[in-house]
Amino acid sequence: MSENENDLLGYNRRDFLKGGSYATLMTMLGGVELFAQTNAPPPQEAKVPTIKIKVAVIGLGAWGREIINTLTRMPQAEIPIDAEIATICDTYKPFLRRTATAVPGATLTEDYKTILDNKDIKAVVIATPTPNHKELALAALKAGKHVYCEAPLAGSIEDAREIALAAKTAKHLIFQAGLQMRSDKQRLFLLPFIRTGALGKTVLARAQWHKKTSWRATSSNPEQEKALNWRLNKATSLGLIGEIGSHPIDQAGWFMNVLPTAVTGFGSVNFWKDDRDVPDTVQAVVEFPGDVRMIYDATLANSFDGEYEMLYGSDAAVMMRESRAWMFKEVDAPLLGWEVYADKLKVFNETGIALVAGKSKPPPVDKQGQPIKLDPVTTSPLFYALNNFLLNANDLTLAADDYKSNYGADDVDGMMEQLGKTNREVTVKRPAASYLAGFQAAVTAVKANEAVLSGKRIELKPELYELK
Amino acid sequence: MKTRTVIAANITLLMLATAALQAADQKIAYNARNGGNMRIEGTANIIHPTWAIVSPMIGGMLEVGPGFPTEPGQEATPGKIEASGTAFMTVRSFKSVESDGKPYSDRMDEVTYEHLKEAQFKKISYKLTELTLKEVAKSKDAPYVFDSTGELTIAGTTNTIKMPVNILPGVDSKGEKRLEITGNITIKMTDFKVEPVDINLVVGHIKTGNEVKLVFKWILGQKKAVAAATQ
Repeated sequence: MSENENDLLGYNRRDFLKGGSYATLMTMLGGVELFAQTNAPPPQEAKVPTIKIKVAVIGLGAWGREIINTLTRMPQAEIPIDAEIATICDTYKPFLRRTATAVPGATLTEDYKTILDNKDIKAVVIATPTPNHKELALAALKAGKHVYCEAPLAGSIEDAREIALAAKTAKHLIFQAGLQMRSDKQRLFLLPFIRTGALGKTVLARAQWHKKTSWRATSSNPEQEKALNWRLNKATSLGLIGEIGSHPIDQAGWFMNVLPTAVTGFGSVNFWKDDRDVPDTVQAVVEFPGDVRMIYDATLANSFDGEYEMLYGSDAAVMMRESRAWMFKEVDAPLLGWEVYADKLKVFNETGIALVAGKSKPPPVDKQGQPIKLDPVTTSPLFYALNNFLLNANDLTLAADDYKSNYGADDVDGMMEQLGKTNREVTVKRPAASYLAGFQAAVTAVKANEAVLSGKRIELKPELYELK
Repeated sequence: MKTRTVIAANITLLMLATAALQAADQKIAYNARNGGNMRIEGTANIIHPTWAIVSPMIGGMLEVGPGFPTEPGQEATPGKIEASGTAFMTVRSFKSVESDGKPYSDRMDEVTYEHLKEAQFKKISYKLTELTLKEVAKSKDAPYVFDSTGELTIAGTTNTIKMPVNILPGVDSKGEKRLEITGNITIKMTDFKVEPVDINLVVGHIKTGNEVKLVFKWILGQKKAVAAATQ
């Protein structure tokens, strides 16, 4: 997922709505705010990281810079990590220059191959335009680097498959698709609620992404400007539904533990009448098994109500906004049990219940009893995704070193077998979107974009999602 | 002609005698192979009545002298067998696990490393000093039962331990001769100057018991035979 590089109109109402005022509004509507237990007060004393890992970031657009900002906050994680950004890479010099100030010690390069040659760099984060993912991911895996590759993995199913198969073969390496919601503590907290039927029978899902922004970047060099605006060209971009919508669509399927069965789309350039051929407004209906349909819409022409995702069941609905979530129960819904332990807030005639997972405590407050403002970076889905990626990569690197120390470096087959098991264990322990999840999300993204561009319903047969 | 025949016969006899002597003195060396593991189990207070950490790798080597059964079901005579070896595990390879074997918690792993003084002592090691065959294998699939004595070093402190071990000779899919050595022993952590965990975690206060059980499976593969070193 990437954002606009030169966003003059990048304001939206989300900024106005987010924060405490929104929490109050939701509670007034009778929402039960659900907190993951890790949304605890930050530690009083910062711990010295014992884990150190050298990382390179390739692609320094807005999202690449967000990744770098997040990586620099890794020492604040529950298990602190010194993620040393050793090299940053982009073929566009102004991006390199702009980012250099944020990571003063990093080497700057326009050639990603210099990263692959550096044995000290263990992990690579790929945040380039989607069409470049395949070349970079395959080369990084071949060079023995752990890879975090932004989603969608590729602009075609064939390319996504090639990446996923290479990742599958490299059992000694972590490959994580940039579907950050799958690592988010808040969503992982919600997952068992949903999977265990706390919402009743799931009946429908809805998600939106509304922004007032051109998605256009400018450059004095026309050729460079064309490259920067790859998202506006349907030859290189999966458009709003693929680049943005693939995340909430993947999330809905992940929550319900199913894959989409069909997608119908609509799209048009309604507002930004420039030379783009990628719709600035899209709508899609994604069908899931059990007659559950998800309505998704995204636009670059209006920012009202920002972005959120909803899942509706016969007993309750859940709304997710960034790293927060609320539950709205039906009056006839059965008592789940945990409500009695929860802190209750009386607002007008509604009773909202604030929850901290596993605890009968209200949301964290400071010594004056005021709610502690959570760090938007260290509680973001991206933070958890990168944190899990680095911890998993570190574990696997150490396991490889241990293996060589125990059994020697010659037993490559044995090492691959052992590291394959370790790989599974660490990614179960610290959830991350796998190569398979990345591949399947890319399949949906490609097909959903086809549906949007054609205005047709496309069936998504199960074999489409098979990785072979 | 007659003289030549006598000389040739003598040379042959000498060669056979030398070969027999060498065979009697030959030691067999095994190196650690993938597939072993060490599980340390303990007790705690009410939050988690039991806990376990597991390392999926045991390194090291074993050298055994004459009389050691290297084939499944091979005949052997009970008694002391010349043997030496070391086994080791890196402390950081131990991970806390749930009762179903799934990974448990990063924080618990961290606590484990702190208590085992991982920063200073990277490995848990065991040095075999004595091996005695007690029971011969009852069938080709059954193990030989030995009594072992050795020195166990945890967090820099060494204690002598005695424990029975089962040794099952076999052959792997590549035709390499293998040994599967299994056993367990209960020890007191304070004997190794390791204090039981007594800590507040997110899940609550955890205090572990002093006694822990070490359960292991050590897989070894046979190295090429080497002549015994001159005593």
